[in-house]
Amino acid sequence: MTTDITAPTTRTAPLAPLLEVDDLHVEFRTRSGVVNAVNGISYTVAEGETLAVLGESGSGKSVSAQAIMGILDSPPAVITGGGIRFQGRDLLTLSEEEQRKVRGPGISMIFQDALSSLNPVYSVGFQIGEMFRAHRGASKKEARAKAVELMDRVRIPAAARRVDDYPHQFSGGMRQRVMIAMALALDPRVLIADEPTTALDVTVQAQVMDLLKDLQRETGMGLVLITHDLGVVNEVADRVAVMYAGRIVERGTVDDVFSNPAMPYTEGLMNSIPQVESKGARLQPITGQPPNLADIPKGCPFHPRCPRRRTGAQAAPGRDCATDLPLLRVVVPGREAACHYSEEVLDVAPSA
Amino acid sequence: MSHPAPDPAPGAGTGRASVPATGSTGSTGAQVDAARAAASGPVPPTTGEPLLQIRGLKKHFPLTQGILFKRTVGQVRAVDGVDLTLGRGETLGLVGESGCGKSTVSKLLVALERPTGGQILYKGEDVAKMGGRALKQYRREVQIIFQDPYASLNPRMTAGDIVAEGWSVHADVAPRKGRLQRTQELLERVGLNPDYVNRYPHQFSGGQRQRIGIARALALQPEVIVCDEPVSALDVSVQAQVVNLLEDLQEEIGLSYLFIAHDLSVVRHISDRVAVMYLGSIVEEGTDAQVYGQPSHPYTQALLSSVPLHEPRLRGQKDRILLTGDVPSPADPPSGCRFRTRCWKAQDVCATEAPALVDRGQGHPSACHFAEARQVVPVES
Repeated sequence: MTTDITAPTTRTAPLAPLLEVDDLHVEFRTRSGVVNAVNGISYTVAEGETLAVLGESGSGKSVSAQAIMGILDSPPAVITGGGIRFQGRDLLTLSEEEQRKVRGPGISMIFQDALSSLNPVYSVGFQIGEMFRAHRGASKKEARAKAVELMDRVRIPAAARRVDDYPHQFSGGMRQRVMIAMALALDPRVLIADEPTTALDVTVQAQVMDLLKDLQRETGMGLVLITHDLGVVNEVADRVAVMYAGRIVERGTVDDVFSNPAMPYTEGLMNSIPQVESKGARLQPITGQPPNLADIPKGCPFHPRCPRRRTGAQAAPGRDCATDLPLLRVVVPGREAACHYSEEVLDVAPSA
Repeated sequence: MSHPAPDPAPGAGTGRASVPATGSTGSTGAQVDAARAAASGPVPPTTGEPLLQIRGLKKHFPLTQGILFKRTVGQVRAVDGVDLTLGRGETLGLVGESGCGKSTVSKLLVALERPTGGQILYKGEDVAKMGGRALKQYRREVQIIFQDPYASLNPRMTAGDIVAEGWSVHADVAPRKGRLQRTQELLERVGLNPDYVNRYPHQFSGGQRQRIGIARALALQPEVIVCDEPVSALDVSVQAQVVNLLEDLQEEIGLSYLFIAHDLSVVRHISDRVAVMYLGSIVEEGTDAQVYGQPSHPYTQALLSSVPLHEPRLRGQKDRILLTGDVPSPADPPSGCRFRTRCWKAQDVCATEAPALVDRGQGHPSACHFAEARQVVPVES
């Protein structure tokens, strides 16, 4: 499965990974204790592939992305273990300056809130052009011309006229385009999009997601899409990694995971969300609250909320949900889940 | 109107029963019937009598210039002619994108803003003409839950104080003696530990805070609750808990909801009828099956087609309608039909004549000259 390139899988891309995150651990050392934000997550992104990292707030999905970009606030954040390899080079072993040279043109990131991510006192053209001045040694004039070109590419109307405008003069969707233009300036191989459309209205969200898909097709870049929106994942991503309490709890193609989840948390998410295509029956919410990362439950972090948990005498030996931490394992070929009883979850859940 | 009873002795414990018994609504009974008869025309099929009727509601905010001598240089037409009817025990969903005026409608409804024009009729009585006691009664009976449970609760007040605060104005709802117990009952009713009365908002999670907001609204025994984006700030796994709670409360107490949200899936799930709003006015209205299954206004169609579907097998099966451009400014809305600048069906008539919200043969009202039902979202069998 891992190197089977001849298999006619269209929505999995088993090419050599561009970006590999390997057993990454991040913790925040605060005065009131250690917050374990990321507890050993691994994923890969290949050329032209879209990986969705799905999780609720506080699941560690954004922190892992910030670790890749080297923009964690440290202190208090510390990367305590693992590796981040880009095109085979481990970023964490490089000096800061070397990291910057690799990341600058190689990996870029867009954020949820475009207004606070852009500098209000510089024109958007200046901010987009900054990439070329910093990394390519372009002159101001060249950089401005490049900025217009990029604004055209992200379909900002009348780019030549708007290049000297300031962020507040743009609408939410247009600001997000400006940020995308900035991220694409140096033709990155990997783009990390952290909730890129969460702050946008649905009609604008559809425009921005379409733009991202088109740009990916043009450039063949890998896309890491961090989101909590199951619909967006389903429409855009090839593979999905579901995060809970700083771990990946399920991983697989979107088709597999969405039509037949192997982890009770994923299953719970699917059941708790109403769908636009039908009124639906009563929602089945996941009980309780997401865990506090400073005090993650022992055993499976999801077990206090899990309707399928087995503890004490009910549990199989070594598979007590309250004490034994389930690791991410292959359940069936191509499907990984971190649950002691994934086989049951798969069987019970109705297949589409 | 009878005298208010400062210490209503009978039926005090179970406050709910004591409200109609106060008799303060007695004099309006005839008016209610009259209004009901008058409104029996084009009122869509509701699950009860119209409790709340909004007619041609307008709210314009002045745009001013200058510091000392403010000149009005324009008007932001936030709400510009909205008609809605809410029946007893019914949930009316109001959807629209940010800036369409849906939150202004909610503020107008709970009398936090005064309308520029139009009427809000509650039980047949015009809210704008209510004075003193009647307005106070109205404000008690029409409550609101806000979007952001972080900003809408006072951080210096305990959960118990927040829930009980309304009683300091509406003292007749809960006798002073049993208030703590009543507060704890309310907390328990919304799924919170009654021992949490003395905790502060920061000690609760987002979902729990929203429950406090709901308990606060319930404390005044309302008839209508305006829910202004009640779940959009919550985590996905917690949203369903709050939606279910709202549904349970409705079933138990017979509340009516005006449910305002931008999440079309949640609105469909909870609503009996749905109204779609664009740039200050309603563009389409109908039952959830009509609006979602057979949308006939181009904006509704575009909106629905933008919602990402959750089912892998439905991927790519819906019509893709991508709108170009942004919503025009409500300070300078387009002439005629508000949507024409982004509409693929727009013709000359759309620029000159504003389409009325009427049934054009689709079985439900749609404000488009060229309304035509079109299935956008695949129907799940």
